[in-house]
Order: sequence, then structure tokens, then C-alpha cells
Amino acid sequence: MALLALRDITKRYPGVTALDAVGLQVEAGTVHALVGENGAGKSTLLKILAGAERADAGTVELEGETMRFATPRDALRRGVTVIYQEFALVPLLGADANIFLGMEPMRSGLLDAGAARGAARRALEDLGAAFDPSTPVAQLSTAERQLVELARALVRDARIVALDEPTATLSSRETDHLFAQMRRMAGRGLGVIFVSHRLEEVRAIASHVTVLRDGRRVFSGPTAETDDAGLIRHMVGRDIEYERLSGRPDSAVPATRVGADVVLDVRGLTRRPRFADVSLTLRRGEIVGLAGLVGAGRTELARCLAGADPWEAGGVLLRGQPFRPRTPGEAIAQGVAYLPEDRKTQGLVLGLTVRENTSLPSLRRFAPWGVLRLGAERDAAAAQIAAVELGAGTLERSAGTLSGGNQQKVVLAKWLLANADVLIVDEPTRGVDVGAKIEIHKQLRSLADRGKAVLVISSELPEVLALADRIVVLRDGAVSAAFDAAEATAERVLAAALPGAHAA
Amino acid sequence: MSDVARGTLAPPAPPRRPRLAKFGVPLALAGMTAVAAFLIPGFLSAANLTTILLHVSINAILALGMTFVIVTAGIDLSVGSIVALGGVLAAKTLTSGAVLGAVGPVGAALLAIAVGLGVGAGIGVLNGGAVAHLRVAPFIVTLATMTVARGTARLVTGGVPVGYPDPGDQTYALKVAALDVLHALGGGRIPLPGLPGGFPVPALVMIAAIGAGAFVLTRTRFGRYVYAVGGSEEASRLSGVPVPRVKLAVYAISGACAGLAAVLLLGQLRSGGPDAGTFYELNAIAAAVIGGTSLLGGTGSAWGTLIGALLLGVLNNALDLLGVQAFWQEIAKGGIILLAVLFDVWVTRASAAAATR
Repeated sequence: MALLALRDITKRYPGVTALDAVGLQVEAGTVHALVGENGAGKSTLLKILAGAERADAGTVELEGETMRFATPRDALRRGVTVIYQEFALVPLLGADANIFLGMEPMRSGLLDAGAARGAARRALEDLGAAFDPSTPVAQLSTAERQLVELARALVRDARIVALDEPTATLSSRETDHLFAQMRRMAGRGLGVIFVSHRLEEVRAIASHVTVLRDGRRVFSGPTAETDDAGLIRHMVGRDIEYERLSGRPDSAVPATRVGADVVLDVRGLTRRPRFADVSLTLRRGEIVGLAGLVGAGRTELARCLAGADPWEAGGVLLRGQPFRPRTPGEAIAQGVAYLPEDRKTQGLVLGLTVRENTSLPSLRRFAPWGVLRLGAERDAAAAQIAAVELGAGTLERSAGTLSGGNQQKVVLAKWLLANADVLIVDEPTRGVDVGAKIEIHKQLRSLADRGKAVLVISSELPEVLALADRIVVLRDGAVSAAFDAAEATAERVLAAALPGAHAA
Repeated sequence: MSDVARGTLAPPAPPRRPRLAKFGVPLALAGMTAVAAFLIPGFLSAANLTTILLHVSINAILALGMTFVIVTAGIDLSVGSIVALGGVLAAKTLTSGAVLGAVGPVGAALLAIAVGLGVGAGIGVLNGGAVAHLRVAPFIVTLATMTVARGTARLVTGGVPVGYPDPGDQTYALKVAALDVLHALGGGRIPLPGLPGGFPVPALVMIAAIGAGAFVLTRTRFGRYVYAVGGSEEASRLSGVPVPRVKLAVYAISGACAGLAAVLLLGQLRSGGPDAGTFYELNAIAAAVIGGTSLLGGTGSAWGTLIGALLLGVLNNALDLLGVQAFWQEIAKGGIILLAVLFDVWVTRASAAAATR
């Protein structure tokens, strides 16, 4: 009997099925890797395991017993610990206080700080940690914080420990140490779940691997029975239907675009430690895809181009002129718009109506002396809402009540109204359903056809492949490859994006 | 856990104030008025109603400025102390022999009004500058200016009210004349047929201020920016909204409203006291919140705030007329504020649940 068995876990959010009858079995004494592209459902699965989210269907079984975790506290009590990338530590409390947070040892009704410190010290020493247990967590490095989380799992007698991309920000020496500790935990009979993008790490530590794609389990088996190319194939899948529906002409780069004017010319742009020496060009009427893993520096690059953050070296030419916006307002005034990844907190003001959101960057036009001409504003917003094929009935609804796909259309309408001619679009279809995805792709393509220059950041390979005329791949803050659409394949792009993968 | 809110699965949208809340507070005001009218003979008389308006006017003006600040998700604790400092400095100007000699009573009154508004707006700009450019938490910034302004008011007056001229003074008549001019603003009444005693001038000022505030919030670009910044600062910034300027402006507006309130109070009382306006900031916050302004930012309206202030005014007046002890009045007021906030939380939750369904 498996130590942990997740059976047919299904989780739906408005407009998206995040998990579709996913199963996962973890044996005692093993390390089990969970891999998949961004948005494949790994994080949602971990949250359900941790009791932070509730599944719509399916069961979690621990040693054959069905669990009902209503809160993370329930899961922790039954020995299930999930260690998130951002950690669940209180920065100003000491490592010892964090280790016992929520289960403080008591003596006659008072905190027994001495016992806590002693037990924390033993647990940390056991994990090979070299720092004082009373050190505030804020003063610890990422690797040290991870050890605090692991110590916490140990003192709670955890039976299952799940780590969400624990190596993303570790040095190789720190990674080796972490792996040694994970192996020791498995050696004591724990079940360890390891989420990672790095296939060579999966191979190094995990005896079993499960691959998720689009909320479904597409592979599960011993690591030894697969190779990197096979895993990449499982992660990417073959979504031929998706490509055909996107409406990109099958010919490679249309001849008209090859000689078109370069609108945005990025030369050696650097903002350490996020990205360094990045060069790329963007032409009129063209969609360039910026591929890479989360953390490769794509969003940071986009924010610099949009005037949201400063850069330290390199330069940008916009229509041949030096371009260095100090605020988003300056970038917008020159026709450069940024459509952020997080629509709900950055792309839209959810409490405002669709009309108010659409006109927000263009209000100056509708308010000659500061007083709004509401009729003109409404007409202009309505025209753009119609252009992105949203119903007129949505105009006075608050943006927060729309589905993710329709929210993204509002963001597009907003920049159409602002007459932006360089659009930097970050994860345009994250969290929207397939139908809305295709519509958004059509909108982006039609924007390019109307002469806009579009830079699309996407972690979904099929999307980049379907949409882009050219693809630039970032890896660890540097350009690792560039392809024309005709020569790009999912395998080649993913191989360029993954650190240390040896495929195709 | 922080990561739950990240990525694709953001929490449900905070929706705009639904209809229920829009009418909830006016209904509560109407209900309270009806009960008072039933229990108290003469409650609905024109004289009593105008008294309520007069008593409400200073708080409503402070609460209007507070509404601008709270809609941007800020807070302004300094307004009560501005009432004191603006009041004493305006009073000193008004009763200064040199000023009176140079420009006469009417000129001195105008100058005093300018001083009151200027002190308020100036402190507001300091508040706004620290919040917008130094990124200090609004609560801390305005707590500091609240304390500094109160201390300054006591320092410049030696702790005693300014304004009572000494009958032996050579300029006694001029000073009384100047106080009379300002009293016409702060305590005067405009005769109206059928209204014994006339309509109080401060209530007119309040209605004009609320009307202007409502226009600015709903019909100007700046007003739209105020809601946008309160709804999502980052989304606003990325849309090209000059966020720091908007923040600076709302604190300046709140300060100027407090300066106006200071001048009205000075006129009404014929003196400016260093201890005037104590706890006024809390009454202003209460009126704004009862009127539907969310402390989380993004929602609120000028007319809602007026209704919130009226609700507190009707409550005070009715309890007064019923002969309820002042201590019980405070307890009742606290209960009403709590009910209003609970109602707000309940409505927000109910509509958030409706939005995810």
C-alpha cells in the first residue's frame, strides 16, 4: 500500500479546470518527482495536499485512510508538510520559534522556550545547519530557510514532505546538501515529493516521476524508464489542434514583415541580477515570442521596457530614437504599453467598470480641462470593447466580475484606445480557458496585422509556437537561443530554456 | 499563505459596492429619523432639522476631505489638530492690531480665512509628500503631524484660546467688528420665509463643499484617478496614472477641508482654541466609513459621506432631546459605527461569494 495516494483529484476555478482527475501515489522511503510546464497544475495539487485548497472531487489517502483536510493545520497534524517556494516563515521570529510555530511546547501554561530552542537546535544540527537556532529568519539565506522548513517537518514527525521547486535559487553546493537531506528523510521511511523543472535534478534524486500537463496526468513511472527527451515530450505534448486554430499562416515569416521597420531595438540591456546583455528587435506587424522558464528574467525585461523599473546598462531605440522611460506614463506617451501577467492586481482596477478601465490611460483625451466628457468616453470605450468582441452589456460592469479571458480582452481594448503601437504582453492567456485563448490569439494576430509590434511573453510553449513569427529564449537572464517560427519546435525551445537539459 | 494569492488563481475580485449597500445607509438614516420623529415631539420641526444640519456641518466637511484620502486607501489623523492650529493662527491674524490697522475688519477676516485654509493645505501637502514620495505609512505620517500641529497650537497660544479682545484695548471695536464678520460665516443664518431663525451659513458651506466634492470625484479626471489608485495602485501606475501626484493632492484636499472647518469653528465660537477639534479626526473617519467608504480603498462617495455624517448627527440630536446621558450617547455612537462596519464586511463577503459562483 502506498504511503500517500491522491485519487482522481479534480479542481475547477471559474473558467478553468486546473486539475482533471489527477492521481499520484508516493511510496514510503522514496523521492517522487512532479514535473510539468507552468500552469500544468503542480502548485494546485500541492495546495490540495496541504489543505490550503479543497478539491472539487477526489480523495487524499494516507496509509489507506481517507483524509479530509479543511485547513493546513489539519494536514500538518496528520504529518503532511508542504514547503512552498516563498516559504511559510515569519521573518522577524527566530528559527526556533518558526520551527514550533503553531505547536509551541508548553510548561504549566507558559511557553517553554528552553525546550523549543533545544529541540530546534537538535533538528537543525541533524540537518547539518550551522547557524544559531535563535537567529531571526530574515537574516538567513534561502538555503538556510529551507533547512528551517525541513526542521519544522522533522519535529512535527512528518510522513510526507513536498518541496515546490526548492532548488530554483540554490547554488549547486546548496542543492547537493539539500538532496542529501532529502535522501536521508526518504531513508527514514518518509515520502518526499519534489517539484522541479530541472530534469537532471529529477534524474539525480527521484526514483519515480509523474508528469502533469494541462491539469491531467500524462505519465507516471520509474525515472529509470524514461529519458530527458521522453519527459520533454510528455511535458510539451502534441497540441496540433491548438496550433491550427490559432490562425497563424503556415508559411514562416511573411515576406512583408522581413523588411519592415524595426520599431523597438533592445541592445545589451542589463538589470542585475535579473537579466544581463539582452538584445532583441521588434518590427512593425510582427509578433515576437519571449520564451523561458519562470525566473529567467522575461517579466523583469518587460517591466524595464515599460518604464516600470530602471535598467543599469545597455540601451533601447524606439523608432530609431533613444528611449529611456522613467515612468510607465512616459512609455505610454511614446506608444509602448505593458500588459502585465497579473491582470487582477496589475492589469486592471477590478473595482472600476469596464468603461473606466478601458479609458484609464487615455483620460486626458476625454477631459480637456480636467472635467470628463462622459459621453465621449463611453462612445470611445464602447468602440474598443466591440473591437475585441466583448458585448456592449459589459461596459458598465465592474471588471472584477468578468472571466479571466474577458478581463484580458478589456486590457487589450484599453491599449487599443490608448493607441499604443508597441504591446508587451506578459502571459496573455494564463488562467483562461481554451476558447478564450484562441480568441485572444486572434486579437493579438489582428493587432500585428494592423501594424502593431507585439512582444509576447509566455511560459506555454504551444502558445509561443502558435503565435510568434520569431522566438527569443531567455535562460537565467540571458538570451540562450533565437528561432524563426519555421525552425522552432517545442523540443528545441524547451531545450534552450531548461538549464542543463540535454535534448534535441 | 502568500503563494495562494499568486499565479493564475487570484482571489475573487472585490466588487464595486452593490445596490444593497448603496441604499442601506440612507435607509438606516430614514429609519432612525422616523423613530426619533415618533418618540420626540418637534423633532421634525424646521428649527430642529436646521440645528442638526448646523451641528453636522463641520464634521461633514472634515469627513469629505477624509473620504478623498480613504478612497486612495490612506488615512488622515491630522485633521483635528489642523482645526486647532488653523483656528488659532487665523484668530491671531483676525485680532492682530497691525493687520486690522492695515486692512480693516473685512480685510482681516478674508486674510484669516486664507491663513486657515493655507495652514490646512500646507500641512496636507507635507502629509501627502511624505506618503507619496517618502513612502511612509499614512497612519504614521499623519499621527506625527497630528501631534506636531497640536503642540504648535498650544505653543503659540500658551495654551489659552485666542480671540477675546480686552475691552480696554485701543483696537477693541475693530477686533469685535472683525470677529463679527467671521461670525457671520461660522454662526450666521440666512433669513428664509417660514424658517424661524433662518438657515445656518455653515450648513450652506457644507452642502456646497459636498456638491463640489461629488463633482470632482465623479466627473473629473482627477476624481477617476483617486478611485483607480485606491483600487489598485500598481495597475494605475502601469496605466500611466501619476500616482504620487494623486496621493499628494488628496492629502492637500483633506488639509484644506480641515482649514475650512477651522475657520468655520472660529467664526462660530468667536475664538480659536488650542484644544479645539480634539477627536474630530475620529468622527470624520466614522462618518466616511458609515457612509460606505471602505478603509481598503477604491470605494466611497461624497454624498454617502454626507449621509454618514447626518446619521451621526441625527443620533446625537435624538439622544440629546431624549435626555440620554452623554456617556450613554458615546456608547450608542460606538455601537452604530460597529454595526455599519459589520454591515460593510457582510455585504462585501456576500457579493464576493456571488462573484465566484
